[in-house]
Amino acid sequence: MIDAAVAVSGLTKVFPVPFHRQPIVAVRGLDLRVQAGEVYGLLGPNGSGKSTTLKIILGLVSPTRGHTEIFGHDSRLVESREAVGFLPENPYFYKYLTGEETLRFFGRLCGLSGARLKKRIDELLELVGLTNARDRRLGTYSKGMLQRIGLAQALINEPKLVLLDEPTAGVDPAGSREIRNLIVDLKRSGITVLLSSHLLAQVQEICDRVAILANGVLVREGQLAELIAIENQTEFVVANASSHLVEEIESLIGRSNAQLIERRRSTTTLERLFLDATKNHEARNK
Amino acid sequence: MDMPHRFFSFGRIAAITLNTLTELTRQKAFYVLLIFALLLIGSSIFMARLTFQQEFQILKDVSLGAMSIFTSLLAIVATARLIPKDVEDCTVYTILAKPVPRFEYVLGKLAGVLLLLAISTLVMSAMFLVVLYTREQAMLHQTLSQMSAAPREQVDDALRAVRSSALNINIFPGVAIIYLKACLLAALTLFVSMFATTNIFTIVVMVFIYFIGHLQAIAREYWLQEHSAGWMARLFLVLVALIFPDLQTFNLVDDIVAGAAIPLGLFAKTAGLGIFYTAIYGLLAAFVFSGKEL
Repeated sequence: MIDAAVAVSGLTKVFPVPFHRQPIVAVRGLDLRVQAGEVYGLLGPNGSGKSTTLKIILGLVSPTRGHTEIFGHDSRLVESREAVGFLPENPYFYKYLTGEETLRFFGRLCGLSGARLKKRIDELLELVGLTNARDRRLGTYSKGMLQRIGLAQALINEPKLVLLDEPTAGVDPAGSREIRNLIVDLKRSGITVLLSSHLLAQVQEICDRVAILANGVLVREGQLAELIAIENQTEFVVANASSHLVEEIESLIGRSNAQLIERRRSTTTLERLFLDATKNHEARNK
Repeated sequence: MDMPHRFFSFGRIAAITLNTLTELTRQKAFYVLLIFALLLIGSSIFMARLTFQQEFQILKDVSLGAMSIFTSLLAIVATARLIPKDVEDCTVYTILAKPVPRFEYVLGKLAGVLLLLAISTLVMSAMFLVVLYTREQAMLHQTLSQMSAAPREQVDDALRAVRSSALNINIFPGVAIIYLKACLLAALTLFVSMFATTNIFTIVVMVFIYFIGHLQAIAREYWLQEHSAGWMARLFLVLVALIFPDLQTFNLVDDIVAGAAIPLGLFAKTAGLGIFYTAIYGLLAAFVFSGKEL
């Protein structure tokens, strides 16, 4: 049997509260399997146990009960993180380091050095679009740039699994789109991505499977397409349809046992509108 | 990128050490402390002078005292926020999410502070030696001009007396012990910071430990001389001696100022104690951090 990229079984985490007050149960009896090569979304409102689950998988927090594995290795062991990259929520890197120094530091932690490390740094700065900002200190980076350098450090060791905790939190739509594109590229390269988010529209675009957590309990899990499909409804999107054709379709539906629920003009998304508008404005000002 | 995991890696520790050194040297507090110490050492050149022996005594007393206080202060202030800040800023997550064992992270951080203390001690020592050398040369020149008519033998004796009062080999083991005392304090501060929720708490606790460490030997002597110490008192004194390092042991400045040679045995014993305490507190800090929930 091939080891799952991430296997979580019977995971429970209780945070004790001093002076014998009610302890906080962050995660209760969680079972998950993330298969190699897929993009898996961990969804849930704030405080639902997403970040705690990721921290336990990374060995940063110890579970009260249960067990987690990364590619078959107990995730409490340091070697389980050999092929893992992690981007925490709102990462604060060392502000006094430049973009290049940051990647060099994390590269050395992963055992890289010399020409190999330099090549990898150049590749990643190019990938995340920070080549021009490589010599700037992180203290001068915008939120989106910090998130991108965070993603670059997560990829420095060419990981097989990348864990992203709210990767687009606080990033503007254009930056958010770039990060999503990068995640899609990671999937194409065969890298497994486990991401936590409460921005559902983004997750819907990129995830193969999702798990929904509420109060530390898994409430839904499965293939995204199956979870969001409405069994007894069908959707057509038709371009250049004449009013006559639309009326005919409606009358056809009326003559059958089916029921027309909604007829509306197709719209773009607000995000698409924002991106097009800002892009056009920038193009005119050039 | 498949690389076999190594349980212990000097490369990883060196990366954390150098990063810690960069972090500390890019803080204003470091330069403020260092400049203040250098000014104090430099200003000893203008201090009142009666005889050349007294002048050199004052110069050594002030300079070595300043080095001892500033390295100790730097050790406490620089170390207090080192790991708590990483935890607070979540920087520690990105580091420990790499294949970095927690004890390597703690050792790397401690080594960074020890490197900073070594650089500071070297800079202060260089300043001290320059001041001492300058005054020695001035004094030799003055002696020569005052004794221009005296017989050669008398002049040689006077010059020898000036030289032996100024720069002598005893200064170097003294400086080494000052450095080791600062290392001990850094390791102890790191250990205390594992339990602290704020930097202020760590610094306040360390100031108490600093004073207890300096006063315990005097208190112990006084107590044992003045009272017929029962087993309870003795137990208490043993416990205090075990928990708090006897920092007075590291105070060899008085001997150096007086021009007395530091016996090799005493130097080796004191240096060994400093290294032992630094290692023990460093390992205890690493042990506590290994089980810490982040």
